[in-house]
Amino acid sequence: MTRGALDIHEIWVYLSGSPLLALILTLAAYQIGLVVYARTNSHPLANPVGIAVILVAAAISVLDMPYAKYFEGAQFVHFLLGTATVSLAVPIFRGLPKMRARLLPLLAALIAGGGASILTAAGLARLLGADDAIIRAMYVKSLTAPIAMGVAERIGASPTLTAVFAITTGILGAVLGRTILNAVRSVEWWQRGFALGVAAHGIGTARAFSVNVEAGTFASVAMGLHGVVGALVIPLVAR
Amino acid sequence: MIAGLVEILLFQGAGEVISRFVVPLIPGPVIGLLLLLGYLVLRGSVPRHVEVVASGLTQHLGLLFIPAAVGVVMYWPNLRANALAVAVALVGSAIATIAVTAVVQKLVSGRHPK
Repeated sequence: MTRGALDIHEIWVYLSGSPLLALILTLAAYQIGLVVYARTNSHPLANPVGIAVILVAAAISVLDMPYAKYFEGAQFVHFLLGTATVSLAVPIFRGLPKMRARLLPLLAALIAGGGASILTAAGLARLLGADDAIIRAMYVKSLTAPIAMGVAERIGASPTLTAVFAITTGILGAVLGRTILNAVRSVEWWQRGFALGVAAHGIGTARAFSVNVEAGTFASVAMGLHGVVGALVIPLVAR
Repeated sequence: MIAGLVEILLFQGAGEVISRFVVPLIPGPVIGLLLLLGYLVLRGSVPRHVEVVASGLTQHLGLLFIPAAVGVVMYWPNLRANALAVAVALVGSAIATIAVTAVVQKLVSGRHPK
Protein backbone atom coordinates (compact mmCIF):
# COMPACT_ATOMS: atom_id res chain seq x y z
CA MET A 1 0.00 0.00 0.00
CA THR A 2 1.48 3.34 -1.04
CA ARG A 3 1.42 6.29 1.30
CA GLY A 4 -1.82 8.23 1.16
CA ALA A 5 -3.65 5.48 -0.63
CA LEU A 6 -5.47 4.42 2.50
CA ASP A 7 -8.65 6.33 1.93
CA ILE A 8 -12.00 5.96 3.62
CA HIS A 9 -13.29 3.83 0.82
CA GLU A 10 -10.60 1.22 1.29
CA ILE A 11 -11.16 1.02 5.03
CA TRP A 12 -14.84 0.63 4.34
CA VAL A 13 -14.36 -2.20 1.86
CA TYR A 14 -12.17 -4.02 4.35
CA LEU A 15 -14.53 -3.56 7.30
CA SER A 16 -17.73 -4.43 5.48
CA GLY A 17 -16.16 -7.67 4.30
CA SER A 18 -15.49 -8.92 7.84
CA PRO A 19 -17.92 -9.90 10.58
CA LEU A 20 -16.43 -7.16 12.72
CA LEU A 21 -18.72 -4.38 11.49
CA ALA A 22 -21.92 -6.33 12.18
CA LEU A 23 -20.63 -7.32 15.62
CA ILE A 24 -19.64 -3.76 16.50
CA LEU A 25 -23.02 -2.43 15.31
CA THR A 26 -24.91 -5.01 17.36
CA LEU A 27 -22.95 -4.57 20.57
CA ALA A 28 -22.74 -0.77 20.33
CA ALA A 29 -26.49 -0.49 19.69
CA TYR A 30 -27.21 -2.74 22.69
CA GLN A 31 -24.84 -0.68 24.85
CA ILE A 32 -26.67 2.52 23.82
CA GLY A 33 -29.97 0.77 24.61
CA LEU A 34 -28.69 -0.15 28.08
CA VAL A 35 -27.56 3.42 28.78
CA VAL A 36 -30.91 4.89 27.66
CA TYR A 37 -32.77 2.28 29.73
CA ALA A 38 -30.75 3.18 32.83
CA ARG A 39 -31.19 6.94 32.23
CA THR A 40 -34.99 6.55 32.09
CA ASN A 41 -35.00 4.65 35.40
CA SER A 42 -35.69 1.36 33.62
CA HIS A 43 -38.87 2.54 31.95
CA PRO A 44 -40.38 -0.39 29.99
CA LEU A 45 -40.88 1.78 26.89
CA ALA A 46 -37.11 2.36 26.78
CA ASN A 47 -36.47 -1.37 26.36
CA PRO A 48 -32.77 -1.81 25.52
CA VAL A 49 -33.35 -4.58 22.97
CA GLY A 50 -36.11 -2.61 21.25
CA ILE A 51 -33.83 0.42 21.01
CA ALA A 52 -30.94 -1.69 19.72
CA VAL A 53 -33.09 -3.31 17.02
CA ILE A 54 -34.30 0.09 15.79
CA LEU A 55 -30.73 1.47 15.79
CA VAL A 56 -29.23 -1.48 13.92
CA ALA A 57 -32.11 -1.56 11.42
CA ALA A 58 -31.63 2.16 10.78
CA ALA A 59 -27.85 1.79 10.51
CA ILE A 60 -27.93 -1.03 7.96
CA SER A 61 -30.51 0.88 5.89
CA VAL A 62 -28.31 3.98 5.87
CA LEU A 63 -25.20 1.92 5.08
CA ASP A 64 -27.14 0.12 2.36
CA MET A 65 -26.06 -3.19 3.86
CA PRO A 66 -28.33 -6.12 2.96
CA TYR A 67 -29.79 -7.93 5.98
CA ALA A 68 -28.23 -11.23 4.89
CA LYS A 69 -24.82 -9.58 4.93
CA TYR A 70 -25.40 -8.13 8.41
CA PHE A 71 -26.58 -11.50 9.71
CA GLU A 72 -23.53 -13.23 8.32
CA GLY A 73 -21.43 -11.24 10.76
CA ALA A 74 -23.91 -11.10 13.62
CA GLN A 75 -24.52 -14.85 13.57
CA PHE A 76 -21.80 -15.29 16.17
CA VAL A 77 -24.04 -13.49 18.65
CA HIS A 78 -27.10 -15.32 17.34
CA PHE A 79 -25.42 -18.70 17.84
CA LEU A 80 -25.26 -18.23 21.62
CA LEU A 81 -29.06 -18.11 21.77
CA GLY A 82 -29.27 -21.91 22.06
CA THR A 83 -26.61 -21.99 24.76
CA ALA A 84 -28.42 -19.24 26.67
CA THR A 85 -31.68 -21.20 26.39
CA VAL A 86 -30.02 -24.21 28.05
CA SER A 87 -28.70 -21.89 30.81
CA LEU A 88 -32.28 -20.90 31.68
CA ALA A 89 -32.34 -24.21 33.58
CA VAL A 90 -30.42 -22.45 36.38
CA PRO A 91 -33.02 -19.75 37.22
CA ILE A 92 -35.81 -22.32 36.73
CA PHE A 93 -34.06 -24.65 39.20
CA ARG A 94 -33.85 -21.78 41.71
CA GLY A 95 -37.60 -21.15 41.33
CA LEU A 96 -38.59 -24.80 41.90
CA PRO A 97 -39.20 -24.54 45.69
CA LYS A 98 -41.54 -21.55 45.10
CA MET A 99 -43.29 -23.49 42.35
CA ARG A 100 -43.81 -26.61 44.44
CA ALA A 101 -45.58 -24.74 47.21
CA ARG A 102 -48.34 -23.52 44.91
CA LEU A 103 -48.22 -25.94 42.03
CA LEU A 104 -51.96 -26.26 41.40
CA PRO A 105 -52.93 -22.57 41.12
CA LEU A 106 -49.80 -21.81 39.14
CA LEU A 107 -50.32 -24.58 36.59
CA ALA A 108 -54.04 -23.85 36.22
CA ALA A 109 -53.33 -20.16 35.68
CA LEU A 110 -50.49 -20.91 33.27
CA ILE A 111 -52.63 -23.17 31.09
CA ALA A 112 -55.54 -20.72 31.08
CA GLY A 113 -53.29 -17.70 30.46
CA GLY A 114 -51.16 -19.41 27.82
CA GLY A 115 -54.30 -20.62 26.05
CA ALA A 116 -55.82 -17.14 26.19
CA SER A 117 -52.63 -15.69 24.75
CA ILE A 118 -52.66 -17.94 21.69
CA LEU A 119 -56.41 -17.80 21.08
CA THR A 120 -56.73 -14.03 21.36
CA ALA A 121 -53.56 -13.18 19.43
CA ALA A 122 -54.06 -15.60 16.53
CA GLY A 123 -57.85 -15.09 16.62
CA LEU A 124 -57.71 -11.30 16.48
CA ALA A 125 -55.02 -11.32 13.79
CA ARG A 126 -57.07 -13.70 11.66
CA LEU A 127 -60.31 -11.79 12.24
CA LEU A 128 -58.66 -8.59 11.00
CA GLY A 129 -57.35 -10.31 7.90
CA ALA A 130 -53.64 -10.67 8.72
CA ASP A 131 -51.70 -13.05 6.49
CA ASP A 132 -50.55 -16.49 7.53
CA ALA A 133 -46.95 -15.53 8.35
CA ILE A 134 -48.19 -13.05 10.94
CA ILE A 135 -50.80 -15.38 12.43
CA ARG A 136 -48.24 -18.19 12.87
CA ALA A 137 -45.76 -15.88 14.59
CA MET A 138 -48.51 -14.89 17.07
CA TYR A 139 -48.66 -18.42 18.53
CA VAL A 140 -45.50 -18.21 20.58
CA LYS A 141 -45.17 -14.49 21.28
CA SER A 142 -45.79 -14.84 25.02
CA LEU A 143 -42.88 -17.26 25.47
CA THR A 144 -39.47 -15.92 26.38
CA ALA A 145 -37.89 -14.88 23.06
CA PRO A 146 -35.04 -17.45 22.87
CA ILE A 147 -37.46 -20.35 23.40
CA ALA A 148 -40.13 -18.70 21.23
CA MET A 149 -37.72 -18.45 18.30
CA GLY A 150 -36.73 -22.11 18.60
CA VAL A 151 -40.38 -23.17 18.67
CA ALA A 152 -41.18 -20.82 15.77
CA GLU A 153 -38.80 -22.75 13.51
CA ARG A 154 -40.57 -25.99 14.41
CA ILE A 155 -44.07 -24.72 13.60
CA GLY A 156 -43.10 -22.98 10.37
CA ALA A 157 -43.25 -19.44 11.75
CA SER A 158 -40.65 -16.76 11.11
CA PRO A 159 -38.19 -16.48 14.04
CA THR A 160 -37.77 -12.81 13.16
CA LEU A 161 -41.47 -11.92 13.39
CA THR A 162 -41.69 -14.05 16.53
CA ALA A 163 -38.83 -12.16 18.17
CA VAL A 164 -40.36 -8.80 17.25
CA PHE A 165 -43.82 -9.80 18.51
CA ALA A 166 -42.33 -11.26 21.68
CA ILE A 167 -40.41 -8.06 22.46
CA THR A 168 -43.47 -5.90 21.72
CA THR A 169 -45.65 -8.15 23.89
CA GLY A 170 -43.15 -7.89 26.73
CA ILE A 171 -43.17 -4.11 26.53
CA LEU A 172 -46.99 -3.96 26.34
CA GLY A 173 -47.37 -6.28 29.32
CA ALA A 174 -44.90 -4.27 31.37
CA VAL A 175 -46.63 -0.99 30.51
CA LEU A 176 -50.27 -2.14 30.84
CA GLY A 177 -49.81 -4.72 33.62
CA ARG A 178 -50.58 -2.58 36.64
CA THR A 179 -53.82 -1.17 35.16
CA ILE A 180 -55.10 -4.58 34.06
CA LEU A 181 -54.23 -6.27 37.37
CA ASN A 182 -55.97 -3.51 39.33
CA ALA A 183 -59.01 -3.81 37.06
CA VAL A 184 -59.40 -7.53 37.83
CA ARG A 185 -58.69 -6.83 41.53
CA SER A 186 -55.59 -8.96 41.80
CA VAL A 187 -53.99 -8.04 45.14
CA GLU A 188 -51.45 -10.74 46.07
CA TRP A 189 -47.93 -9.87 44.93
CA TRP A 190 -47.16 -13.45 43.90
CA GLN A 191 -50.28 -13.57 41.72
CA ARG A 192 -49.60 -10.21 40.12
CA GLY A 193 -46.02 -11.18 39.36
CA PHE A 194 -46.97 -14.57 37.98
CA ALA A 195 -49.57 -13.06 35.62
CA LEU A 196 -47.01 -10.60 34.33
CA GLY A 197 -44.45 -13.37 33.78
CA VAL A 198 -46.92 -15.57 31.87
CA ALA A 199 -47.93 -12.73 29.55
CA ALA A 200 -44.75 -10.69 29.24
CA HIS A 201 -41.82 -13.10 29.93
CA GLY A 202 -38.43 -11.46 30.61
CA ILE A 203 -39.52 -7.85 30.14
CA GLY A 204 -42.52 -8.36 32.43
CA THR A 205 -40.24 -10.06 34.94
CA ALA A 206 -37.84 -7.11 35.00
CA ARG A 207 -40.82 -4.81 35.55
CA ALA A 208 -42.19 -7.02 38.35
CA PHE A 209 -38.80 -7.06 40.13
CA SER A 210 -38.69 -3.26 40.01
CA VAL A 211 -42.00 -3.11 41.90
CA ASN A 212 -41.76 -5.97 44.40
CA VAL A 213 -39.28 -8.82 44.98
CA GLU A 214 -41.93 -11.48 45.55
CA ALA A 215 -43.73 -10.39 42.37
CA GLY A 216 -40.43 -10.58 40.48
CA THR A 217 -39.60 -14.05 41.78
CA PHE A 218 -42.98 -15.38 40.67
CA ALA A 219 -42.76 -13.59 37.34
CA SER A 220 -39.49 -15.38 36.70
CA VAL A 221 -41.07 -18.71 37.74
CA ALA A 222 -43.91 -17.98 35.28
CA MET A 223 -41.52 -17.11 32.48
CA GLY A 224 -39.58 -20.38 32.90
CA LEU A 225 -42.67 -22.53 33.30
CA HIS A 226 -44.43 -20.93 30.32
CA GLY A 227 -41.31 -21.30 28.18
CA VAL A 228 -40.89 -25.00 28.92
CA VAL A 229 -44.58 -26.00 28.90
CA GLY A 230 -45.19 -23.86 25.80
CA ALA A 231 -42.29 -25.45 23.94
CA LEU A 232 -43.68 -28.91 24.71
CA VAL A 233 -47.36 -28.17 23.97
CA ILE A 234 -47.53 -25.48 21.27
CA PRO A 235 -45.87 -27.55 18.47
CA LEU A 236 -48.54 -30.23 19.03
CA VAL A 237 -51.38 -27.71 18.90
CA ALA A 238 -50.08 -25.54 16.07
CA ARG A 239 -49.39 -28.21 13.49
CA MET B 1 -15.55 -20.41 33.16
CA ILE B 2 -14.46 -22.76 30.37
CA ALA B 3 -15.51 -25.82 32.39
CA GLY B 4 -19.01 -24.36 32.81
CA LEU B 5 -19.26 -23.51 29.12
CA VAL B 6 -18.18 -27.02 28.14
CA GLU B 7 -20.76 -28.52 30.45
CA ILE B 8 -23.59 -26.34 29.10
CA LEU B 9 -22.53 -26.98 25.49
CA LEU B 10 -22.58 -30.72 26.18
CA PHE B 11 -26.17 -30.47 27.42
CA GLN B 12 -27.02 -28.38 24.36
CA GLY B 13 -25.37 -30.96 22.09
CA ALA B 14 -27.24 -33.82 23.74
CA GLY B 15 -30.46 -31.82 23.35
CA GLU B 16 -29.78 -31.20 19.65
CA VAL B 17 -29.09 -34.90 19.02
CA ILE B 18 -32.25 -36.01 20.84
CA SER B 19 -34.28 -33.35 19.03
CA ARG B 20 -32.94 -34.43 15.67
CA PHE B 21 -33.43 -38.18 16.05
CA VAL B 22 -36.14 -38.67 18.67
CA VAL B 23 -38.49 -35.69 19.13
CA PRO B 24 -38.03 -33.35 16.15
CA LEU B 25 -40.96 -31.17 17.28
CA ILE B 26 -39.13 -29.88 20.34
CA PRO B 27 -36.18 -27.52 19.78
CA GLY B 28 -32.81 -28.97 20.83
CA PRO B 29 -31.95 -26.19 23.30
CA VAL B 30 -35.25 -26.74 25.14
CA ILE B 31 -34.40 -30.45 25.52
CA GLY B 32 -30.92 -29.38 26.66
CA LEU B 33 -32.58 -27.10 29.23
CA LEU B 34 -34.70 -29.98 30.56
CA LEU B 35 -31.65 -32.29 30.73
CA LEU B 36 -29.64 -29.68 32.63
CA LEU B 37 -32.61 -29.04 34.92
CA GLY B 38 -32.87 -32.78 35.62
CA TYR B 39 -29.15 -32.91 36.39
CA LEU B 40 -29.43 -29.94 38.78
CA VAL B 41 -32.41 -31.53 40.56
CA LEU B 42 -30.52 -34.83 41.00
CA ARG B 43 -27.43 -32.98 42.19
CA GLY B 44 -29.44 -30.69 44.47
CA SER B 45 -27.36 -27.58 43.73
CA VAL B 46 -25.84 -25.54 40.91
CA PRO B 47 -22.09 -26.18 40.33
CA ARG B 48 -20.12 -22.95 40.69
CA HIS B 49 -18.65 -23.05 37.18
CA VAL B 50 -22.08 -23.58 35.57
CA GLU B 51 -23.49 -20.75 37.66
CA VAL B 52 -20.86 -18.29 36.36
CA VAL B 53 -21.55 -19.00 32.69
CA ALA B 54 -25.34 -19.27 33.05
CA SER B 55 -25.69 -15.97 34.88
CA GLY B 56 -23.54 -14.20 32.28
CA LEU B 57 -25.63 -15.56 29.43
CA THR B 58 -29.06 -15.05 30.97
CA GLN B 59 -28.21 -11.53 32.17
CA HIS B 60 -27.68 -10.38 28.59
CA LEU B 61 -30.20 -12.65 26.93
CA GLY B 62 -31.65 -9.66 25.09
CA LEU B 63 -28.42 -9.01 23.19
CA LEU B 64 -28.59 -12.48 21.66
CA PHE B 65 -31.86 -11.99 19.83
CA ILE B 66 -30.97 -8.65 18.25
CA PRO B 67 -29.50 -10.18 15.03
CA ALA B 68 -32.69 -12.15 14.32
CA ALA B 69 -35.01 -9.30 15.30
CA VAL B 70 -33.23 -6.86 12.96
CA GLY B 71 -34.64 -9.07 10.19
CA VAL B 72 -37.81 -7.06 10.74
CA VAL B 73 -36.49 -4.81 7.94
CA MET B 74 -37.36 -7.65 5.55
CA TYR B 75 -40.93 -7.82 6.85
CA TRP B 76 -41.54 -4.11 6.84
CA PRO B 77 -43.95 -4.01 3.84
CA ASN B 78 -45.85 -7.00 5.23
CA LEU B 79 -46.15 -5.42 8.69
CA ARG B 80 -47.22 -2.08 7.27
CA ALA B 81 -49.95 -3.73 5.24
CA ASN B 82 -51.19 -5.56 8.34
CA ALA B 83 -50.47 -2.84 10.89
CA LEU B 84 -53.96 -2.64 12.38
CA ALA B 85 -54.32 -6.42 12.75
CA VAL B 86 -50.90 -6.72 14.38
CA ALA B 87 -51.50 -3.86 16.80
CA VAL B 88 -54.95 -5.04 17.86
CA ALA B 89 -53.81 -8.65 18.22
CA LEU B 90 -50.77 -7.77 20.34
CA VAL B 91 -52.54 -5.28 22.62
CA GLY B 92 -55.71 -7.35 22.94
CA SER B 93 -53.79 -10.51 23.64
CA ALA B 94 -51.53 -8.90 26.25
CA ILE B 95 -54.59 -7.61 28.12
CA ALA B 96 -56.43 -10.94 27.87
CA THR B 97 -53.42 -13.01 28.95
CA ILE B 98 -52.71 -10.96 32.06
CA ALA B 99 -56.39 -10.75 33.04
CA VAL B 100 -57.14 -14.46 32.50
CA THR B 101 -53.99 -15.59 34.35
CA ALA B 102 -54.72 -13.36 37.34
CA VAL B 103 -58.40 -14.29 37.55
CA VAL B 104 -57.82 -18.05 37.29
CA GLN B 105 -55.12 -17.84 39.93
CA LYS B 106 -57.46 -16.04 42.29
CA LEU B 107 -60.24 -18.57 41.70
CA VAL B 108 -58.05 -21.65 42.13
CA SER B 109 -56.01 -20.47 45.11
CA GLY B 110 -59.20 -19.29 46.79
CA ARG B 111 -60.19 -22.92 47.10
CA HIS B 112 -56.69 -24.04 48.06
CA PRO B 113 -55.44 -21.55 50.63
CA LYS B 114 -51.67 -21.53 51.06
